[in-house]
This record gives sequence, structure tokens and C-alpha cells, in this order.
Amino acid sequence: MTSSPVLQARVFPRLYRDSVNLMALASALEKTEGVIRVGAVMGTPANLEILARSQMLPEELAAVPDDLVIVVRGVDQATVTGALGAAATSLTEVREDGPASRPAPATVAEGIAAATKAGHAPNLAAISVPGTYAAVVAEQALRSGLHVFCFSDNMAVEDEVRLKRLAVADELLMMGPDCGTAIVDGRPLGFANVVRAGSVGIVAASGTGAQEVSCLLDRAGAGISQLIGVGGRDLSAAVEGLMTRHAVRLLAADDDTEVIVVVSKPPAPEVADRLLEELVRAGKPAVACLLDMPDAEEPVRVRGTLEGGARAAAELLGLSLQIADPPITAGVPRQVLGLFAGGTLAAEAKVLLGRAGVDAEIIDLGGDEYTVGRPHPMIDPGYRTERIADAGSRPETGVLLLDVVLGHAASAEPTLPLIEAIEAARASAGADGRELVVVASVCGTAGDPQGLARQRELLVSADVIVCDSNASAARTAALAAGAAQTVEGELR
Amino acid sequence: MITDGLEVLNVGLPLIVEALDPATVTQLDWRPPAFGDDAAARAALSLADERTRAANDKAMDAIHAVRPQLVGVKPATEVVPGMAEGRILLHAGPPIEFERMCGPMRGALIGATLLEGWADDPDGAQRLLASGGIRLEPCHHHQAVGPMAGVLAPSMPVLVASDGGRSAYASLNEGLGRVLRFGAYDEEVVGRLRWMREVLGPAIDRAVQLRGPVDTTALFGQALAMGDEAHNRNVAASSLLARRLAPAIATLDHGVAVLEFLAANDHFALNLSMAGAKLSMDAAIGIPDSTIVTAMARNGVEFGLRVAGTGEQWFTAPVGPADGLFFPGYGIEDANPDLGDSAITETLGVGGFAMAASPAITQFIGGTTSDATATTLRMRRITTRPHPAFPLPPLNFAGTPSGIDVLKVLDTGVLPVINTGIAHREAGVGQIGAGIVEAPPEVFLAAVGALAARR
Repeated sequence: MTSSPVLQARVFPRLYRDSVNLMALASALEKTEGVIRVGAVMGTPANLEILARSQMLPEELAAVPDDLVIVVRGVDQATVTGALGAAATSLTEVREDGPASRPAPATVAEGIAAATKAGHAPNLAAISVPGTYAAVVAEQALRSGLHVFCFSDNMAVEDEVRLKRLAVADELLMMGPDCGTAIVDGRPLGFANVVRAGSVGIVAASGTGAQEVSCLLDRAGAGISQLIGVGGRDLSAAVEGLMTRHAVRLLAADDDTEVIVVVSKPPAPEVADRLLEELVRAGKPAVACLLDMPDAEEPVRVRGTLEGGARAAAELLGLSLQIADPPITAGVPRQVLGLFAGGTLAAEAKVLLGRAGVDAEIIDLGGDEYTVGRPHPMIDPGYRTERIADAGSRPETGVLLLDVVLGHAASAEPTLPLIEAIEAARASAGADGRELVVVASVCGTAGDPQGLARQRELLVSADVIVCDSNASAARTAALAAGAAQTVEGELR
Repeated sequence: MITDGLEVLNVGLPLIVEALDPATVTQLDWRPPAFGDDAAARAALSLADERTRAANDKAMDAIHAVRPQLVGVKPATEVVPGMAEGRILLHAGPPIEFERMCGPMRGALIGATLLEGWADDPDGAQRLLASGGIRLEPCHHHQAVGPMAGVLAPSMPVLVASDGGRSAYASLNEGLGRVLRFGAYDEEVVGRLRWMREVLGPAIDRAVQLRGPVDTTALFGQALAMGDEAHNRNVAASSLLARRLAPAIATLDHGVAVLEFLAANDHFALNLSMAGAKLSMDAAIGIPDSTIVTAMARNGVEFGLRVAGTGEQWFTAPVGPADGLFFPGYGIEDANPDLGDSAITETLGVGGFAMAASPAITQFIGGTTSDATATTLRMRRITTRPHPAFPLPPLNFAGTPSGIDVLKVLDTGVLPVINTGIAHREAGVGQIGAGIVEAPPEVFLAAVGALAARR
């Protein structure tokens, strides 16, 4: 048996609701399954005529202008009764919700205003929005007088130059783009380790390079006054070391800074000259830690490894950096495969293994080509563990060289997933009758949230040779891979 | 020390500042600026300087200094500039040719042509309009504004809002039902227009002369405290205006008929609200470098925006129908794209911007007074100053947000909300609902490009 549509009205005598209110009620009821059309009006002659015109006026309906009329056309009686009941409920409902809360600030200007009102007027903007917009946000921040820590990358080099010029003119820091690490007035930003406060001011165009140097200084008993990141491109010919030189001037004037250390991959030659001039002008003991540059003592101390830079800086404070390479016997010639999370750590290893004349393939898994669509390996070790596990089935690979980076923002549990992968790699190598030597270093301090000692113990328990520095790990790997000779000053 | 204690504004990942004391971090709920248009974001940034701020201060001083007075009701041909020469009809929104107009606007133009006696019947009027026999120009080009189709004919009476040497004009509101502004042009409609021309207009003019000019700022300020928002709800202002003029009207011939007309029309004051807002906003037209919006208007096909620093230039984008609540028997499929000059009220800072004042119509924006308050607070993010003469009681009498800044719209991604009536897409059916619309982002993107190009 099929039922025909039902039209029924309900009159609420002397109940007034604004027409807007009634239209909203009708619109809500019309969304009910089986309801075809709803009219909700005050019973004025004009409104009843509107209902009649749209065939929504039941013949028996009697209403006066003070009455509220609900008319429902639905597929069956039950639907219509239900809708009229819902209408009655809605009309007698009492709302108790309070006023809306204020939304969070959404723009730089709103953020500054809100924070200032709350007694926390900002002096630095940390920016990690997509690179396309980072230049706009950074300029807004600089023009509002804020220093900028710009974690975002993919910024056009012209924008970087423009923003850094703007910052220098206003005596502000433009850290980045692509700046991973900073410690400003003792407060860590991005990937930074928990290092002691002290008198070494670091300017770094390299994130993990700065982390390694600051951790090694911590190990030597030296502390950090400021760690100013400048972004990986600052010492390129295009950017001309704009921010590095500005930061050096700033540290030269900083009473808490006794020794200045600049950390970078090799700069453009003309930029390097200007940098060294600036360091001389600073009038404080200084170390230029420029990867792969030959060591020199003039015009300032130049060191070609992170470890060498940290050692030189410690010595300037009368401290010494003790790094004991593990006692291992030289292995047969075979390939070293380096699977790195830290870009500058990979670069340092490449320099040292190159100098040792060892066959080595060093991969920076934090490089752009590996991080499209996946998180950085310092945050999520997932992809690196795949690559480590696969290393076991590479017949040419005899030594696996790894880094583990601790500190804020890094993975809370970086080592455990690596160990599982190492065991898998060893199993597949063993099945082929090969041995896989695994060498690693941990870039971190006892104060880091992950705990330096615990991470080292986890590695040792998995038969990994754990070294005190990334450079030491590279030397050890070279020796294990049959390095025929040592390199003066670096490889014993 | 680099800072006196690091205080961070974090734009992006919370991870970056996880090591800091949360009390020293302000996290932004950030989204891409300029609706994701990088070039427009940069153009906006290039304009965000002292020169623009000074220009906007000047614009806001000028806008808020205006105190429109209703000084009379006169035939358009006598007072509206350019209405005395040849056959001309004005319409709402930015310029548009007859062929591209929507149904209600064409219908209204046909009705106006019949009212002026330029054609004997609707077909004749249609032919005359299509053949270009009548100049069609926006109200805004003649210091006038009109709701919905906004059609103004030379013989129609207009409200004259004046302050100092300047005036702005608006037609008289016809009420609801079958009316010209929704495109109806039958004999009932044209007959009512004749009556308004011959009886209503002169009567109100006479009453204004007898009782003295009406200060619209005071009128609408009071109405905002009585639950109006001066765009979609005008029952308080209409009542206050009728009360003020009634003793004079009652003494006139046809006085009772005029009072009955006013008693039946909850929206009579809307057109006065519009004329006052138009006069106020015109004070800022052409102030160099100012990024303050001076007009938002829709012609049923396009949305038009004008900005102080670009003078009389229109920035336009296609417009869609309002998302609203519909009268019984109608839905969004019946709705005409958004229409009318009435968004001049939001341009000044009332209407949708004053939602907090108008609890009775909060259903348009979610149903609670909290939603209404949130809407007004959101409009604060894109405006320049509170209006000193329009305090909103629910916001502790803070002034309604006034002076839309193109740069703030782009920076926040917040679009102006506009309260509006909804017309049926076919001429003459009339109003079928009401609701809110947001201005389209494209007009702000175009405006910032033009502003930057003038630098």
C-alpha cells in the first residue's frame, strides 16, 4: 500500500518569531528525510496568501496575524507529525551558549598586536610556512622590527638578498631561509641541542654543522653565547655573506662572546676573503670552520672539519677537546656507505673519506631529492631505515657509516628504528657470507631530551662502533675499509 | 644580548619552538595571504607603509566627519547631476550593457521607461532599451544609490542627503511584494510609482521642510541601539523617521495615505541609510594612496568595488546568488545573482558589519547572538577604525567597524560580509528571501594591483 503526500498545519497561538527565524526553521525542517516542503510564517493575510499560492495552505486552517503557523508537506503522516513536533521543540528551545571566544591571531600584524596586549611583545618571528609565502611573511616581520628565524626553504635568492639587506639596514637578524638551528639569548629554535651557556659565539650557514660544533664544544667544557644560523646560501656569491658578516659584527660587539666561530660549507672564494676580513676586524679570537678548506692560522684560524673547528675554538679558551678514536684493526679494502640525516655531517664525512682515499658513497638523506613528500630523516627515520636495511644486500658495501642527531625538534626515539634496520642489514649480508661493520656517532649532549648516553648505549648494544665525533666516525670507517694511509692532522 | 628576553611570534610549525616556554610564544593561525596569490601579497606588502597609513587616516577623518542631513525629497531631474539631459535611467552596481543585464534589472528598466512615458507598453520599452535609445548609467556615477535593481528615472522623487556643499541621493523605498526594484513593471507597480511621485515624495519633502532636516547619523545611531543594523533590518529607523515626520504629514492632503504607506513599510529607512552612507563614503573618493574601500555594489551579474586611491575606477568580478533563507516555495535555484547598491551600508560599517547590534536577524549568520558578535569582530580585522557615531551596545558600545582596508582584506583573507535581500531571477516575481554574501576575492586582488601600479 502506498501513501500519498500529507499536508498538515499546526498553529501556535500568539507566539511571535521574526520571519528570519522562521525561514531558518523551515529550511532546517526541509532537510528532514521525507519532508517535501515547509512553510513557517506569522498568520498575516499576506503570508497566508503566499502559502496558498504555493499550494501550502490546508483548507481548514484558521489563523490570525498573531499566530505562528507551521505547514509541512511530507511523504506520509509519520514524517509530517515528526516534523511538526520538531518545530514545536525548536520554537520552545532555550539557548544557553555564551558569547563566542576570540579567534587566534592569523596575521603578523594581528599576532604582534595580540602578543603585545598580553605583555609579550614579540622580538622574533619564527617562520616555517611554504616557501612561496615565506618571503612575504619575513618582510612583514622585519618591517615590524622583528628578528626572523626562517626555517622555510625554496625562497628565491633575490628575495633572500633583498630581505637580508633590509635586515642589515635595520640591524636585525634574518636567519635563513633554510635555517635549521639557532640559539638566541640561550633560547633554542628549530633543531638545537641543549648546550651549556658560555662564551663561544657561532655563526652558521649549516644546521647540523652548527649542532656538531656546539655539541663538541659542550663536550670540551665550553659553552655557547649565541648560535646564529644564516641559512645554507648565505656565503654563496649571490648572497655575499650578508648575514654572516652582520652576525660577526653583532658578536664582536657582544660582551658575552669571547670567541667567534663561523661554520659553513666552502664559501665562494671572493666571499671567503670578505668573511676573513670581517673576522679580523671583529678583534676577537676567531675560527673559520669552512669544510674542506686547508687548515691555516692566518689571518684567522681556518679549519676544514667541524671537529677541527670545535677543537681550535676550545683551545682559544684554554680547553681541550678529547676525542679518542676507537681502537680497531685496519680492514680489507671495501666500500663505505654513508647514510646521513645531517647534511653537513655527510659533507664532513665525505671530505675525510676522500682525503683517506677510500671508496665511499656518502648520501645526505635530508637533501631535497630525498625529502619530497616525506619528512626529514631527523624528524622521522622511516626512509633511512629502509635504506639501511637494503645496504645488507649490496655486495660492495663493507662498512656502514651513520649519524644520529639529537636535540629539540629531532625524533624522540631516533636510534631504536636504526638498530632494527642494522640487524636486518647484517642478516642479509650474513646470509651472503659477508660481514658488515657499522660505525656511527651521536651528535648531542647529556642534556638533550633523547639523552646522549642512552642513545650511545643502544648503538653499542647492537654492535655498532660508536665514536665521539662525526669526524672520528669517518676516520674509523676509513680504517675499517682498509685506508692505506693517514691524513696529516686528521686521520691517524 | 640580542633581545631583552626572547619573545617569539611563531608562523608555521609548533615543532620549531617546542623548546621555548609557551608563555613566550604567540602561535599564529596562519594561512596564505592574498587568497594564495603570491604576487598580490607582495603588491599589498609594498603598499603597507607610512604613506598609505597617512592617506587612510586622511580618508577616515573625512568619512567620519560627514553628518548627512535629510534636507528634502525632490524629483531626480531637479537635483541628481546629469539627470536633466535627454533620456537617461540609472541602475545599481558597476556599468553594464542592457544585453548582459539580469532579469530583475531589465524588468525594472522597462517599468521606469513606462513611468517616464517613453514607451506605450512593455514590448516598446524593451525595444527602446535594447536599441540604445536610453542612456543607462550606474547610480554611483551620479552621486546616487539604489537598492536591488536600483533603477532611478528622472521623474522619480529622491531623498536628498546633504552635508556642507555635498549631496547624495537615493530613491524612495516602495515596500515589499511586487515592486520595481525586484523587476516588476505591471500597472500596479507603475501606478504606485506615480503615486510616490505625485503624493508621497512631495508630502515627505513638505514634512521635512516643516519639521527641519533629519540628522541621519543620529537617527541610525539610535536605531542601532534598537536592534536595527541599518541594512536588512530597518524597522526601528523607519519607525523613528515616521514618528518624526508624522505630525507634519498628518496636516497635509493625502496625509493619512502617506502615513499608512509608511506604517506598512519596515524598510522605508533603508534608502536613507544608503544615501547617508553614500555621502559619507564619497568624501574619500580620490584621496591618493588610500586603500580604503569607497563603494561595493552589484548589478546582478558583477560585483563592483571602488577604492579611495583609485578614484572612480571599478574593479569587478562575477557575482553569485546569496546563501540565504528563502520564503516558502522558493530555493537557491530560483535566486538571482546578488544585486543592489545597498552594500554601501557595509562599506561605511553598518549592515553586516553591525550584526552584533541586531539579535533579531542572527539567523542569517548561524542563529545565535554569539555568531552575530563574532561576525562584527571578524569585520574589525579588515577595517580601519570604529565609527565614532555608531556604538554597538552588545560590544560595550564600541563603534561599529568602519573603513574596509584592501590591504587588511588581503592580509587576513577575511572578506566583507554583506546582508542582502534575494530577488527572483525572473523579472517581477519579487523578493524570495534574504541572506548574506561575501564580496568576491578577485576584486580585492585587482584593486591592490592597480593601487601598486599607481605608486
